[in-house]
Amino acid sequence: MKWRFKRLALAGVTCSLALVVAACGSSSSKTSSSGASSTSSNGLKPALDGSNQTLTGGKKGGTLTVYNHEDFEHLDPGQAYFVIDYEAVYATQRPLYIFPPNDSQHVIPDMASGPPQITNGGKTVTVNIRPNVKFGPPVNRAVTCSDVKYAIERGANPNVGNAYFPAYFAYLQGGSSATGGPIPGIVCTSPTQIVFHLTGPYGTFFVGALSLPLSAAVPKEFVQPLDKQKPTAYGAKYLVATGPYMFKSDSKGVFLGIGYQPGKSATLVRNPNWNASTDPRPAYLNQININIGGDPNVIGRQVLTGSDTVQNDTPADAIVKLAYQNYYNQLVAVPGSGDRYVGLNEQHGPFTNINTRKAFWAALDREAMIKARGGEVVEQLGTHFIYPGSAGYDQAGGASGPNVDYNNSPAGNMSVAAKYMKAAGYPSGKYTGSYVLKVVGSTGDPADKDAAIVNQTLQSLGFKTNFTLVDQSVMYSKYCGVPKQQIDVCPNVGWIRDWYDPQTLLDPTFAGYNIVPTNNSNWGMVSWQDWPKANGGTYTSGPLTPIDQAMKTAETSVGDANRASAWAKVDQMLVGDAVAVPWAFDKQPNIAAKDVNGINDLWNEGSWDYSWMWLKNA
Amino acid sequence: MIRYIVRRLLWGVVLLVAVIAITFVLFYLVPNVNPAVLRAGRNSSPKIISEISANLGLNKPVYTQFWVYLKRLVLHFDLGYSYYSGASVKSLMADRLPATLSLTFGAVVIWLAVGIPVGIISAIKRRSVLDRSAMGTALVFVSAPVYWLGLLVLFLFAADIGKFKIPFLHGAGSYVGLTTSPLHWFESLLMPWFVLAATSAAIYARLLRGSLIDVMGEDYIRTARAKGLPEHTVVMKHGVRSAITPLVTVLGLDIAILMGGAVLTETVFDIPGIGRLNYDAITHGDFPIIQGTIVLAAIFIILANIVVDIAYAYLDPRVRYT
Repeated sequence: MKWRFKRLALAGVTCSLALVVAACGSSSSKTSSSGASSTSSNGLKPALDGSNQTLTGGKKGGTLTVYNHEDFEHLDPGQAYFVIDYEAVYATQRPLYIFPPNDSQHVIPDMASGPPQITNGGKTVTVNIRPNVKFGPPVNRAVTCSDVKYAIERGANPNVGNAYFPAYFAYLQGGSSATGGPIPGIVCTSPTQIVFHLTGPYGTFFVGALSLPLSAAVPKEFVQPLDKQKPTAYGAKYLVATGPYMFKSDSKGVFLGIGYQPGKSATLVRNPNWNASTDPRPAYLNQININIGGDPNVIGRQVLTGSDTVQNDTPADAIVKLAYQNYYNQLVAVPGSGDRYVGLNEQHGPFTNINTRKAFWAALDREAMIKARGGEVVEQLGTHFIYPGSAGYDQAGGASGPNVDYNNSPAGNMSVAAKYMKAAGYPSGKYTGSYVLKVVGSTGDPADKDAAIVNQTLQSLGFKTNFTLVDQSVMYSKYCGVPKQQIDVCPNVGWIRDWYDPQTLLDPTFAGYNIVPTNNSNWGMVSWQDWPKANGGTYTSGPLTPIDQAMKTAETSVGDANRASAWAKVDQMLVGDAVAVPWAFDKQPNIAAKDVNGINDLWNEGSWDYSWMWLKNA
Repeated sequence: MIRYIVRRLLWGVVLLVAVIAITFVLFYLVPNVNPAVLRAGRNSSPKIISEISANLGLNKPVYTQFWVYLKRLVLHFDLGYSYYSGASVKSLMADRLPATLSLTFGAVVIWLAVGIPVGIISAIKRRSVLDRSAMGTALVFVSAPVYWLGLLVLFLFAADIGKFKIPFLHGAGSYVGLTTSPLHWFESLLMPWFVLAATSAAIYARLLRGSLIDVMGEDYIRTARAKGLPEHTVVMKHGVRSAITPLVTVLGLDIAILMGGAVLTETVFDIPGIGRLNYDAITHGDFPIIQGTIVLAAIFIILANIVVDIAYAYLDPRVRYT
């Protein structure tokens, strides 16, 4: 997002750890029955993954110091869409539902008082709101339904510009045309009950969206005037909390320059109006001091050797290596933190041919790419598109992925590649045409190394390439995310889910009907035939491609199990069509001081959850 | 002299406008990121992006944006607002400037205090062991990247992560404002000062040595000695005063550049100064902040040049204001 991409770019930046991996044993990964790599096989014990973390029995009190190399981007719950922002936002705000740290697949009520009631064939979702949950200072009154309603409605206000509103809240009746005013599909039947009327049977999916920060109540009378500014001043200068913590503020709710100094520091203190009996979170800590900036190599050492500290963003590669070797119990590498794949353009050039795509998949040395990122301690071989921790992962093939010959050799298999090149019409087993592939990758170690491996693989298949490396954000916004640029190969793309539902993973990235002229995230132009005319394509009506049709079917599936199966089927179709080449499922490395009982949100890329962690010496 | 300063200041304004214009043009020519796309996030629709563009004024022609920026700058010294935090660039820079000032002037004092005596002694004791060891050491520091040197001293001496911990050498991120705690301010800046000063002290020592060796061979130095003046008067009054003029030029520019931000030192030691503000802005494509810090650096450089020119005339009688 703005960018969870950023986290994706940094995650697993542990190339020096790869040297450890390489030095400790052979590179021979075990091969499962399907032929794909299974678990760690280099003689290294895997890093702790956070799955056994204890959530109860903590000690109350103390001040945690957090080192953030990067600054926050948005602290307004209506705007926040970055993993570091989420850490502060979920500690200070209360959406209707949240995921407990250990469970990425089942929401629990937060501002809601109980589970949602999905009725009317999945078209209506009713949520009861906890009574007597008060806003923090300076508002100091109880939250009501209209506060939740306004919080969601303002997401469509261009002055707020919530990034995921169009993807998830356009399912509300009137949501797709909303601009910040009342949305007919949101109805307050009482001060403590809110009803969502959807345009179709999307209830199961929509409940997941109610775990996002946009559903966190905001005091309408306080925020609405601020939302008239371009952009809104809420979250930039003023904030009001509902969660256990609040940004240190003055009596008017101003936190800028007091509890948050951009690029320097932030201070979270207890929200005096928070009532523990209304919240599932224990909130052990008294205060959280966030230090922003600094060199990752320095702050990593400060955390590993210090007290009461954690590092918030991805540690430097040398630090992960140091932690793994000398501070093993202070390192966690949380799986299910994103996936990475090589985007291949289905609309232009040689990769319009399915056999060419399969040949490239077969030839690509995905093991080498994983090693460039730090090896199996911090990465898992990517074999399909729904990654661990997401619903449908096992049904889609689990760790080994679908049993197809082009997926069965993680180190690359040139004879299988040659077979598919011949099937594509190149009798020599290599490309003999004159087309020059445009390959645009990302600068910075180790992304540039991964891109180079992709480029070498293409050349080994006989392709001529025009290979360019640019800054990651430029790669997305100027090249791979702009269809008219006709980039043939994007080696460094990937995605992070918004919650466990695979729709949040596959729909934005592979649906032809979601293709847009800028900021496009269907980098391979999969199902470009369904690219809407209104967005610059040619599609107006008629049958969708089989993949898009399967997505539409999955989208309207009701019930978690049905949805998981339906999206797993989509995943298998994507692999069957070799629409892109998955090569890594990310694990997010995190480090903490030895006296911190760090709690990682398995649902949020393993980020720290301030509302659950505690200090051992408090 | 007044006419000279006024004329230089007017040229400085022209230069400043040119710098702003070039920055604007570069920002739009180089394939950077559309801030509206960054701000909108990954799932956002083209509609949201265009609305954010309009809010940020990015949908207007470049020349209109430039004119609006210039007008605000000249009339209100308004440098705009951060695309991300929404904070005023002027207030952000005012907030960061004290740290950069503290870092710069402390380092300047150290490098002058070390570089000038070493340069003089090396020139006077030419080819001695003292000269050779001083110049050898200087070569090491000239060659040592600031970033590496910063990490090295932190890993060796910092009170938190150092191998040989020195209690009063607080680690990275320990900077506090002078008014908060003068002692802590001083202690937190000791390592950054020495690291930042190391390279410059070495350069200044070598520069002064070379310049002084040349000057000490001049006829007027022989005349001064023939007049029976004491050697220290010959060296300091006649030799150094003349030899130091190249250093003044370099010093003026060095201070001005550092005022624009000692990016690496500020980053390694986690000092929230102008340099780090600029670095963060560049990584985010936060153009108003980039522009603001460039304007600030340009102002300092222009002023430093004027000061240097005036100082030149004072130090070297051959120079006249014309």
